[in-house]
Amino acid sequence: MFASIVSYGLAVGAVYALIGITYNVMFSASRVFSFTAGMLGMLGGVLGALFIGKLGLPAIVGLVLVLACGAVLGLVTELVTVRPVLKSIEQHLYVLSTLAFALMVQQFVAVEWGTEAQPFPRLIAIGPGWLDQQFWLPMLACAVTIVGLELLYRKTLIGRAFLAIAEDSYAARALGLPETQLRMASFALAGVIGTLAGFTGAEMLLAFFGNQSILNFYGFVPVALGGMGSNRGAVVGGLALGLFQQAANFLVGGIFAAVAVFAVFIIVLLLRPEGLAGGSAARRV
Amino acid sequence: MSITRRKVLAGSAVGAASLASGLAAPAIAANEPIKIGYLPALTGPSSSTGIGINRGTVLAVDEINAAGGIDGRKIELIVRDTQSDPTKAVNAVAELTQRQKVAIIFGPLNSGEALAATPLIARDKVPMLHPCWVDELIDVKKYPMAFRIAPTNTQVGGGANYYVVDVLKLKKVAVISDTTGYGTASVNTYVPMLKAKGAEVVYTNHVDAANPDLKPELLRMQSAGAQAIMPWSVNAGFLSRILNTRGAMGWDVPVVGQTTLGSGQTKALLDKPENWNKVYSNNFRQVCFAGGKLPARAEEFVDRLKKAKVEMGDTLLWWIALGWDGAKMMGETLKAAGPKADDIVAHWNKTKDWPGVYGTVTWTPEQHNGFPDTEVVMCEVNSLKDGAFNLAPGYAV
Repeated sequence: MFASIVSYGLAVGAVYALIGITYNVMFSASRVFSFTAGMLGMLGGVLGALFIGKLGLPAIVGLVLVLACGAVLGLVTELVTVRPVLKSIEQHLYVLSTLAFALMVQQFVAVEWGTEAQPFPRLIAIGPGWLDQQFWLPMLACAVTIVGLELLYRKTLIGRAFLAIAEDSYAARALGLPETQLRMASFALAGVIGTLAGFTGAEMLLAFFGNQSILNFYGFVPVALGGMGSNRGAVVGGLALGLFQQAANFLVGGIFAAVAVFAVFIIVLLLRPEGLAGGSAARRV
Repeated sequence: MSITRRKVLAGSAVGAASLASGLAAPAIAANEPIKIGYLPALTGPSSSTGIGINRGTVLAVDEINAAGGIDGRKIELIVRDTQSDPTKAVNAVAELTQRQKVAIIFGPLNSGEALAATPLIARDKVPMLHPCWVDELIDVKKYPMAFRIAPTNTQVGGGANYYVVDVLKLKKVAVISDTTGYGTASVNTYVPMLKAKGAEVVYTNHVDAANPDLKPELLRMQSAGAQAIMPWSVNAGFLSRILNTRGAMGWDVPVVGQTTLGSGQTKALLDKPENWNKVYSNNFRQVCFAGGKLPARAEEFVDRLKKAKVEMGDTLLWWIALGWDGAKMMGETLKAAGPKADDIVAHWNKTKDWPGVYGTVTWTPEQHNGFPDTEVVMCEVNSLKDGAFNLAPGYAV
């Protein structure tokens, strides 16, 4: 039982954490909380099953194509749903525009791909048990992503420019940083991370159009738990959520597992509204 | 243009003339086709059933017309694709009853659309034939002109319960469902029925179908001493996870339940083919192989399908048979009772042991659910051949 809680919990938690990071990357660059994160996760699984399972492409080609599609969708999201509403961001119109775009894509997938869950091909034939790809692949993807982002943000100029935009977009623009291009790059990066989450988690979650709403929902929890914009917080929050959800699955089961998860979520937010890892940020004026 | 008195008079004359020719219509109508309204879902997410049923319906109507129709009048099938959308079904009903003035409506073929359309068809007083299972569709007080040639959900659950308790002689049962309306309603209906049969329901739960790991649920069933698992869901992902988890645990427990257990979508999601062993899904005695042979009516029907070159490999025999039975029933009724609504209903109310390919139908003025309990059986899901399955082990052949 313990092994099952840890393996499944960490694997699902890693997918949630990656979706949380997807939210964060888009949010940092634009102050827009884009609800396309779950859509990207869902598409990672569906497109992966399409390219590798249906069209028979090699796994690595399939992965690259999926991530490329994610990047393109990220750019489209920025162009179609974010840029037009940035002027009136205080009115939170982007919530509607990003959600509407995500729902349109989901309906399209339902019509073209079908409403039944479909299998995701096994890429690496080891297992069963702990060595099964469905457990370690999402964890590996999560580790690679978080290390990659840390290196990007700390070691490269473009990464520092991302941070500058996230910190204060007016000041960054005043310093001559190309805000629009950086925002587009962030959305493309988020597209890659979101589809990677879906791709690596798809053997467990299957290639299913309905995963969009689940990932939107459970991917949001680590962001709220870890603090908006904090990627490390999202990883800790995501893994904790996965472990807790799986433990609740074992201990109470049925629909009560979901109730337990959200009860804890509400309690944490009541006690620490800024999130477990978030601090109250002071802004110099 | 100004309206003059002369124009009004001329218009009235034309109107009167057309009215007069309308009054003379019955003499002409004797050769006009008899219209039957037909509401399949041929596109959209729930269309696989509709496509299968449609093959049988079209074949039967073609056969009736080729043999001269109903006393010289052809049957005209007015088909409106509901696209698996209740709103479209409702719009189509208005057209069929009010504009096309059809004699009978067959369908809608899916429950969601049927629930929306039935009250409207009843209001417009058109006889209707149901192929759907939802119990509420038949109510002789509310919908006195609606008849069903298929089993009800209660009969379907009863058939599964009968198999577990009376055929397999298992007394400790675990019943689970997903959290959809269908799943929870099924569990709430079937668990008391199981208990009334003397079975002990050792575990029952509603589970989120998106939950990727069902091992906790199956471990709980196992430790509760379950001898059979009865899952009620139409979600292939959920059902395949139950079967895969059972396989990974090496637990040799039979899984007995709804038809989706045996669907191609469920099969595609299995980790290995053996996970489909000892899985029994609902089916119907008249269209199942028993001892390697189909019953006589079905065998004759399969020959007919082969002769007409109707594709069977990508659908289910019982779907085609259901469509064929529906059209055949309507054709025979129109021949015996004519196209008037009250005559059709009176004829149907006296139907006894009508020998359909899909099922043997009996209706009375008090009971418009026509399918016999004894013909709702379970089949082996891994035995699909030419659209039909083997009867599950244990039944008297």
